[in-house]
Amino acid sequence: MTELLQVTDVVAGYGDGPAILNGASVTVQPGKVHCIIGPNGAGKSTLLKAICGMLRIRQGAVRFKGDSLVGLRPDQVLRRGICFVPQERALFPKMTVRENLRMGGFSLTDTTDLERRIDEIEDRFPILRDRRDQHAGTMSGGQQQTLAMARTMILKPDIVMLDEPSLGLAPKIVQEVFGIMQVMAEAGITILIVEQNALMGLKHADWGVVLDLGRTLFEGPAAEVLADPRIQELYLGGKKVA
Amino acid sequence: MAAIIQIVVLGLALGGVYALMGSGLSLIFGVMRIVNLAHPALIMSGAYVAYWGFRLWGLDPFVMLPVAMVILAATGVLLYKLVFEREAKSARYSEMTVLLTFAVAMVLEGALATAFTNTQRVTSPGYATDAFFIGSVFIPKGQLYAGITSLVIIGLLALFLKFSRFGYAIRATTQNREAAELLGVNVNLVGLVSFAIGVALAGAAGSLVSFVFSFFPSKHWEWIAVLMSLVVLGGMGSILGTVVAAYLLSVVAAFVGFFFGATWSTLTFYLALFVVLLVRPQGLFGEKPELA
Ligand SMILES: Nc1ncnc2c1ncn2[C@@H]1O[C@H](COP(=O)(O)OP(=O)(O)OP(=O)(O)O)[C@@H](O)[C@H]1O
Ligand SMILES: [Mg+2]
Repeated sequence: MTELLQVTDVVAGYGDGPAILNGASVTVQPGKVHCIIGPNGAGKSTLLKAICGMLRIRQGAVRFKGDSLVGLRPDQVLRRGICFVPQERALFPKMTVRENLRMGGFSLTDTTDLERRIDEIEDRFPILRDRRDQHAGTMSGGQQQTLAMARTMILKPDIVMLDEPSLGLAPKIVQEVFGIMQVMAEAGITILIVEQNALMGLKHADWGVVLDLGRTLFEGPAAEVLADPRIQELYLGGKKVA
Repeated sequence: MAAIIQIVVLGLALGGVYALMGSGLSLIFGVMRIVNLAHPALIMSGAYVAYWGFRLWGLDPFVMLPVAMVILAATGVLLYKLVFEREAKSARYSEMTVLLTFAVAMVLEGALATAFTNTQRVTSPGYATDAFFIGSVFIPKGQLYAGITSLVIIGLLALFLKFSRFGYAIRATTQNREAAELLGVNVNLVGLVSFAIGVALAGAAGSLVSFVFSFFPSKHWEWIAVLMSLVVLGGMGSILGTVVAAYLLSVVAAFVGFFFGATWSTLTFYLALFVVLLVRPQGLFGEKPELA
């Protein structure tokens, strides 16, 4: 098969607490944009945390490029090539934009290489160069999200997982955020995004995953998921999609 | 006018020492979210290291300072491993660490009192009772040396935090632990090292305090209120804030002491703590406290 990442029937929870995920599965193909949708509390964020090693996986499998990721720590998953941008507050607010970018490459040891990579990112996103010495926390919400997403590209990862990058942003800025996501996708990065606004998320994705009560209801090509009557009813309020 | 200059000079001279006393506390709070109530007792331990170095071998407190830092850093590692590390995953971490640091303070006080009795001590190198005169203004040599040394140490800490790779890791962990971990920072190691550095700073402060103030084991309770007022006014976890607050309060306390007497001078810190918590709980440089 050609899957880059295959998550199969994962069971996981916080600490010794109840299982929040109870049979979550995702199929991730290289170079595509994958969108996870589902109601509040479905376990979307929890699924991303489980993949990146922040939560212990109790059952099920996570295979990346043929190797299991189960039992790895976040830094080990990162080194394999999967970056996670958590929901809100992914930045260091009292570090400058430059310092935030350097933190993005913390796992690199060659500092000249790191500075070169940061230069490349600044070429791609000039706003980050303009704001270089400003504290990240003083930038607008859209700029902060730009920094959080751009920062992942320093490591040239295979997969970037984004947890609701559009949260709390004005509609126009949300468009920009999806624009950045397209830039990342065009740079060859595989995207796994969680989006509260299912319609919006699926429109920008190739593949859709529907999660509810910690379980994957179904997944498939985004257009098919969008058109599915169950989705129309459950998450899109029965509205017809243009 | 001369009197006012004199008061400000005396306040500034002590400000540096207060800043050093508070910066370790601030560092530990920033990274670990531990309000280390044992910090003054650890400073006290550092003071005894310097005191005995001088008493037994005639070693200057400035020679004993690095010794105290090493001894206290080792104590910090031990404390962290024995007491705090296993609490890190507890859901009641905050409550537990307050109780645990309180207990550590009691144990340290008891140990110091048992070993060295409750006699009042002070290290007495020559400069401790000497002074410079600039016109009619006098600057106690001991306080001046201690103040400058404190600033140098804090300056080195600031450079380390600002420019070294480990400094980046410490600042990142302070500001957003989860994000730091996701970027490959070993947050447990950062916690351990920061704790050790913070306690080593207590050791350095103790060496200087040993000839600036007289001390006895139970006096650390008096210091805790002073240090709390510094870190609260500065904004919990902000080292720059702690330094600014230390100078500010130290000068104010000098004025209060001059006009109302020495007893009131100490009360300045308690009052400041109270007022800051009421009026601006985030302090000068801190974040607004989160509501959730
Ligand atoms: N740190 C935590 N500790 C314990 N339980 C948690 C924690 N975080 C989330 N949960 C629980 O896990 C469940 C799923 O939460 P999760 O954040 O994964 O949902 P979500 O699908 O991302 O929702 P949202 O759309 O609101 O972000 C919820 O019931 C929540 O209460
Ligand atoms: Mg979520």
